[in-house]
Amino acid sequence: MKGIKSLVGNDHTKTIPVIQDANFKKLKQTLLKEIKRSAYVYRVDCGGCNGCEIEIFAATTPVFDTERFGIKIVASPRHADILLFTGAVTRAMRMPALRAYEAAPDPKIVVSYGACGCDGGIFHDLYCVWGGTDKIVPVDVYIPGCPPTPAATIYGFAMALGLLDQKLKARSHNEAENEKATLKHTGIPLALKTIIEREARLLSGYRQGGILADEFMAVLAKSTQETVDANLKRFLSEKNDPRISEIIEILHHKALAFMRG
Amino acid sequence: MFKLFKTIIKVGTKTTIKYPFEPLDVCDDFRGKPEHDPEQCIACGACTQACPANALIMETDIENNLRRWEISFARCIYCGRCEEVCPTNAITLSQEFELAVTNKADLYEEANFTLAHCVECAEAYAPTKAVSYVHDLLVQSGLDRDDPYLSQLLNTCPSCCRRANMLDSRTLVHGQYFHDALANDSLACDVSADKVFQQERSNQGE
Ligand code: SF4
Ligand code: SF4
Ligand code: SF4
Repeated sequence: MKGIKSLVGNDHTKTIPVIQDANFKKLKQTLLKEIKRSAYVYRVDCGGCNGCEIEIFAATTPVFDTERFGIKIVASPRHADILLFTGAVTRAMRMPALRAYEAAPDPKIVVSYGACGCDGGIFHDLYCVWGGTDKIVPVDVYIPGCPPTPAATIYGFAMALGLLDQKLKARSHNEAENEKATLKHTGIPLALKTIIEREARLLSGYRQGGILADEFMAVLAKSTQETVDANLKRFLSEKNDPRISEIIEILHHKALAFMRG
Repeated sequence: MFKLFKTIIKVGTKTTIKYPFEPLDVCDDFRGKPEHDPEQCIACGACTQACPANALIMETDIENNLRRWEISFARCIYCGRCEEVCPTNAITLSQEFELAVTNKADLYEEANFTLAHCVECAEAYAPTKAVSYVHDLLVQSGLDRDDPYLSQLLNTCPSCCRRANMLDSRTLVHGQYFHDALANDSLACDVSADKVFQQERSNQGE
């Protein structure tokens, strides 16, 4: 700041994850290979909105039933093989989280759960958060989502235990020579397109409206004047949803009114 | 007790969903991984403005003539606002939910786009693809594709456009309205009041 001499550096706003022992990796591999019993999970809530906790418990209910794989939630970090960190790591929760980490017996697997745990999520730029589990402890598996669904949770656990493989791959694209974005529904006049898009969003909300307008225009584009009614009817019976029928009907009226001028 | 066993037998093991041994059915409106189609993207930046979690970022590197778009699935909250605002449907939320990774770098996707340069001052002013998309859109709305005025206009940066417009004799009015108003006397009192005020100010200054 101008005119104000800073008394301290900015080290206190930076955090360095706990340093891992060199043999840790090997130990972890043996743990994964030799684990002939249930894997115990301890959850550490580092200041999330509790959405993640609810999904974790949903994953342990009979519907998803993580106990099929022997994954059990335990009440103490001293019993844990897997530590599950949720939340964006608030300042106040940093020490308790580190204590839970130290209390868990080695070798332990650390899972970062939810958008908050992975990278701070929507809280990433608050003054009072460190912004993610990997800022304080070394993380083995990231499970993104806000919150991750129970199925995504199971997938993440299976990955942590080495049962399933990672699907996601980093991707980088460079613009090719003469690469061009294509215009959609070029057969429909722009003014009519605007009317349809606007009306659909007005009737059914933004994202749904966009999708409906797109589908409606796709039907329009591939029909002639004679077949348009039959095509729309087929489309609506496929959807079999009275709400969509009503919206499409209104859109159709608007389009007809436009065509008549 | 007997009733309980009967219920258990009746329900069986159907309650538990078989995932991951069987694929899971997700509902139609499930919002999973945002799928970005870089060919369709025009690097307009609408999604980066809309993203509530700043999972989408865009940065312009004038030196290397690049604009970089990046998504972080780690920070994404799967809200679908990027899909709402995208003008070209380049980004849509898929049904993919198996996103867990061991390597954090795999949670990022990026795309690089080139920048278009102004024909007048040669400064970069917009992504090339955005310019050509706007051109196509204007052509679709009825303008002539080969109109030299149109392509001149589109390939000029906003500040050069403004400058050109300023010196364009058609738009130059030489204070026409001001003089008209003075002639009609409607501005006269305003102007005289202003003069008095300025005089006072200069007096104070001395
Ligand atoms: S990731 Fe989303 S659901 Fe989980 S704690 Fe953060 S805000 Fe809540
Ligand atoms: S889904 Fe939401 S959080 Fe994710 S990239 Fe799109 S706008 Fe951002
Ligand atoms: S809104 Fe669509 S076209 Fe624009 S930068 Fe985002 S993905 Fe690309």
